[in-house]
Amino acid sequence: MALRGVWQLQKLVVSYCNWGGSSRGIRAFMETKLPAFQEKNPQLEIVPELIRGQHPHLKAFCKNKNQRVVCVKNMTPDDILLHSTRLRNALGRKVVKLKTRHVTKHPTVQGTWSTDLKF
Amino acid sequence: MATRRFLRALCRHAAAGADLVSLRRHFGAVTSIRSRSIIRPAIEQEKSLRHRDLWLLSSRRFCSVKTPEDDDMEDEYEEGEGGGDVDEVSDGEMAAGSRPHKREYTPEEKEAEASEIGYKVIGPLERSDRVFKAYEPVFAVVQIGSHQFKLSNRDCIFTERLKFCEVNDKVILNKVLLLGSPAQTIVGRPIVPEASVHAVVEEHALDAKVIIFKKKRRKNYRRTKGHRQELTKLRITDIRGIEKPEIPITKEKPVKVALKQEKVAEAA
Repeated sequence: MALRGVWQLQKLVVSYCNWGGSSRGIRAFMETKLPAFQEKNPQLEIVPELIRGQHPHLKAFCKNKNQRVVCVKNMTPDDILLHSTRLRNALGRKVVKLKTRHVTKHPTVQGTWSTDLKF
Repeated sequence: MATRRFLRALCRHAAAGADLVSLRRHFGAVTSIRSRSIIRPAIEQEKSLRHRDLWLLSSRRFCSVKTPEDDDMEDEYEEGEGGGDVDEVSDGEMAAGSRPHKREYTPEEKEAEASEIGYKVIGPLERSDRVFKAYEPVFAVVQIGSHQFKLSNRDCIFTERLKFCEVNDKVILNKVLLLGSPAQTIVGRPIVPEASVHAVVEEHALDAKVIIFKKKRRKNYRRTKGHRQELTKLRITDIRGIEKPEIPITKEKPVKVALKQEKVAEAA
């Protein structure tokens, strides 16, 4: 996720519980895969947070002040890595159905065609 | 073919209850990796091989399911020995099953070939390059996969997920079908050779969820399925292969400056 070379994800809060079974995957993720993920993305601020008695989740804070929360309860470390990679890859924009697949400010170069146009 | 015959014979002997010594006598000191990986688990789990597994190891396949030879052999060994050392296939198969396409394209040539199919070439990552230029009145018609786009500088495009590039990668789109500028048009047959469009990967994201709802009335049949398409957003930076007009930028500035000065004079 990089708008003109600027990474859009600022902060990733990894919330987990040290007792619950639903946090087993994320605890394993924090031991095995999180350091590598942190090294690959030095621009990203990763904050582990302990929330006892609650299901684990990932919170993403983007530069356009958008937040996205992904619940990772009962997930394997591979799946959690996939979700965190997806959060890092995406811009913080709202997920809306695309109107067009081609976004441009200059739709025409040689002029718009009309029936009166003569070459 | 020789290796296949050798392996089958080895299995038959192992199934028949031969130990390592007799196996070695029959087949000599085999140093290939494949045979080592077969012999070791055979020794360890020789006693625990059940009758059904022995039959699987030694019997011929009479079913009409056609699988490639290698996969066939590796599947047999997995079933019989309960976790033999099969390098590539086991991780992908044993995993949750939600990621069936976990092939590892280890040689970079394979990646390049696969990306040629999608008509893109991966360039190096961007570091303090001045890639984002001002708008130039030049367009190109480019094909990516099966979709075609009319591109200009500073455009954004959403394509299907491009597999081998990451965010902030430079990408070159090779398949240019048409190039155009206010003075000139170049039509490719079907491609314009030595023309390229440079782009930067901005994001890999999922599209909004589309709900696929199936119903047959009065037949008690109703299905709901959610689908999110994986997309890649590319920002076009440069179009090469055509002469670009250089005039418009220099002319605009003095006109604007003159207008501003006039407005300031009127206000004062």
